Amino acid sequence: MTKLLQWLFGVSLVVAGWALVSFDLLDLKLPQPYREVAWPMPLYLLVSFGCYSLATVGYRVATFNDCEEAAKELQEQIKEAKEDLRKKGLKM
Amino acid sequence: MATGVDQAVGMSLVVFSLLLFTYYSVWVIVLPFVENDHVLHKYFLPREYSVILPGIAAVILLLCIGQYAICFIKESTRLH
Repeated sequence: MTKLLQWLFGVSLVVAGWALVSFDLLDLKLPQPYREVAWPMPLYLLVSFGCYSLATVGYRVATFNDCEEAAKELQEQIKEAKEDLRKKGLKM
Repeated sequence: MATGVDQAVGMSLVVFSLLLFTYYSVWVIVLPFVENDHVLHKYFLPREYSVILPGIAAVILLLCIGQYAICFIKESTRLH
């Protein structure tokens, strides 16, 4: 069985379970609060995934390492390259 | 460590997403189990909005992405 089929199988199981609980397909007559929680579940999972992505991006932005010396060294090398090219006749 | 503005923006993103997650979790998961007279219900909109508001946000996000894509394509195919 391919990975795609495995994923589709798993997803369809989850969707079937969700539909069973929120639309009461088997007439199980679950208590009302549980049905009210289960119904927005797909949207809730999507929103929480979005929040997790946003938090990860924000955290990585905040903890990204600035390399001061490497930046200065790079600026020096850019200046040198410009001088070199100007001497050889390239118009900047 | 990143400096100044980067840290502020990053941390504010983290805090904002935590707040959003907590509010939305309480709205969807905790509220159905709380009796209707409890004072907590005062701080949350009616439950239908917990589905409508993310839907509107998703539509706006898609519109922004589409707008950016259109601008980008226009710029890249413009003949000088």
